[in-house]
Amino acid sequence: MSEYIGIVVAIVLAGAFAAVNVGLASVLGPKKPSAVKSEPFECGQVPFSLPTGRLSIKFYLTAILFVLFDVELVFLYPWAVAYRGLGLLGLAEMGIFLGILMVGFFYAWDNGALEWQ
Amino acid sequence: VTDLRLLVPELILVGMALALILVARHVRRPQFAVASVVVSAVAAAGSVWVFSAEGPRTGFGGTIAGDGYTQFFTVLFAANLALTALFSVKHLENDHVPPAEYCALLLLASTGMMLSAAAIDLLVLYLGLELTIVCSYILVGITRDRPISNEAAIKYFLLGSFASALLLYGIGVLYGVTGATDFATIAAAVSEPGLRQDPLLLTGVALVAGGLAFKIAAAPFHAWAPDVYQGATAPVAAFLAAGSKAAGLAAIVRVCLTAFAPEQAVLSDILVALVALSLIVGSLLAVSQSNMKRLLAYSSIAHTGYALLGLIPGTVEGASATMTYASVYAFMTLGAFGVVIALGQRGEELEGYRGLAMTSPVTAAFMLLFLLSLTGIPPTAGFAAKFAVILSAVRAGYVVLAVLAVICSVVSAFFYLRVAVLMYMTEPQGSAPGAFPAAVSAALVVAAVATIIGGIFPDAFASWTVPP
Repeated sequence: MSEYIGIVVAIVLAGAFAAVNVGLASVLGPKKPSAVKSEPFECGQVPFSLPTGRLSIKFYLTAILFVLFDVELVFLYPWAVAYRGLGLLGLAEMGIFLGILMVGFFYAWDNGALEWQ
Repeated sequence: VTDLRLLVPELILVGMALALILVARHVRRPQFAVASVVVSAVAAAGSVWVFSAEGPRTGFGGTIAGDGYTQFFTVLFAANLALTALFSVKHLENDHVPPAEYCALLLLASTGMMLSAAAIDLLVLYLGLELTIVCSYILVGITRDRPISNEAAIKYFLLGSFASALLLYGIGVLYGVTGATDFATIAAAVSEPGLRQDPLLLTGVALVAGGLAFKIAAAPFHAWAPDVYQGATAPVAAFLAAGSKAAGLAAIVRVCLTAFAPEQAVLSDILVALVALSLIVGSLLAVSQSNMKRLLAYSSIAHTGYALLGLIPGTVEGASATMTYASVYAFMTLGAFGVVIALGQRGEELEGYRGLAMTSPVTAAFMLLFLLSLTGIPPTAGFAAKFAVILSAVRAGYVVLAVLAVICSVVSAFFYLRVAVLMYMTEPQGSAPGAFPAAVSAALVVAAVATIIGGIFPDAFASWTVPP
């Protein structure tokens, strides 16, 4: 268990740091409450609304294209860490993997997914 | 790298799918895309023969097997792929489906099926089934302007994700108990005396069985099938009924006979419940259907029951009977859906078959052949296959279940032959159905020949089966 002591220390320190800062802010900071500031999430968004509004379909397209590169990164990182051990075969395999992913990207591009107008 | 020989059929299909995706925007003619699918399916089936003699038997760290079992199902999936592609020609034109994308999805789904038949590791099995079902979701909803298709795709996606989660959770539990995901190690661990009564192990077995039962639409995991088959276009429904079911059966047979072989007693109990429910639910609910695709969906649930019947004893003969049933069922259901496709919109409803024998006798004769085979009347392949699975159940001592299967078979005769009665004994309604493409006729002939040969020579399919 001794190898986890560092993690425990980090958790305690992080918690203490956050608690001290929040505590200091609430003690020292000026308070001018307003209706907007009292909302559950003070972020500029209306927290509750009926789902009747419209959302541009482009957002979904962008999200899907993001997933493409996200998946790529998920595999690229461990591959880069283990690269020396994998050798030439590993390089070839990653090339094939990227190639297949890029076929998907090319398809989206070719069909106008990147044309915003 | 030599391990790649085991995956040559899959590589051919994936290569063709990628090529089709690359040129997707420029492919406007369905004939071109369909032809490329048929060519790659034939090449994949041919590569099985070329590479069957040489090369390693297992590969990729003991996760893929290149045995006769894999080859049998690879050829079956290639045939299913080619026939579905041929059937699709008409629908691609009529429904404005992008042909290249559609064909690429068919290719990738078939790749997943082949992978799940070849897998000897639970994770690869999951990967194969997941590849199949993700492509299937899109195929079901590919006619975006039809609300019923969208509804079917969403239902299929939600229920399918849930079943996949069940399967994955079962795999996780099994890994926790046995410390392995490959079938051989699991079987070795399961046969340890201390583990036999481990509730966690039984949970894992049950979860995996439940997840796989969803893929083959066995009751009580069948609720998606009627809605999905009805909502999907007829070729996609045929593809799911024949291919997806065979893939699930391929997976379940291998898992039962290798990984869970020491737990055969538990599995038999689960399977008996699945078989009895599937037979009763499928046969009884099909009686009241008026939509042809829904009728075939309920019939597919009942046929799942018959196919699983061979698996209950856990013997090699029983598994061989199940494999035969899966392949025979694939051909006869492809044929029946083929006639639905050939008749177009008219073929969707039972009423559309009124007096078909008068206006187009050849199409009606094809339908009659497939219906007789689905009922299990000699001399069709359906009879030989049904006989083999029921015989294996009787030999294992499950006489009550065998009697139930025969009774359900009699019930099914009612709704199958009702279509035949409509075709042959009622007055024609409306005009004769128009001519359909040569590709559809060719696929119908292939399915019919397979159905007849399997009936006249009952060993035609059985002699190719190689249980795992």
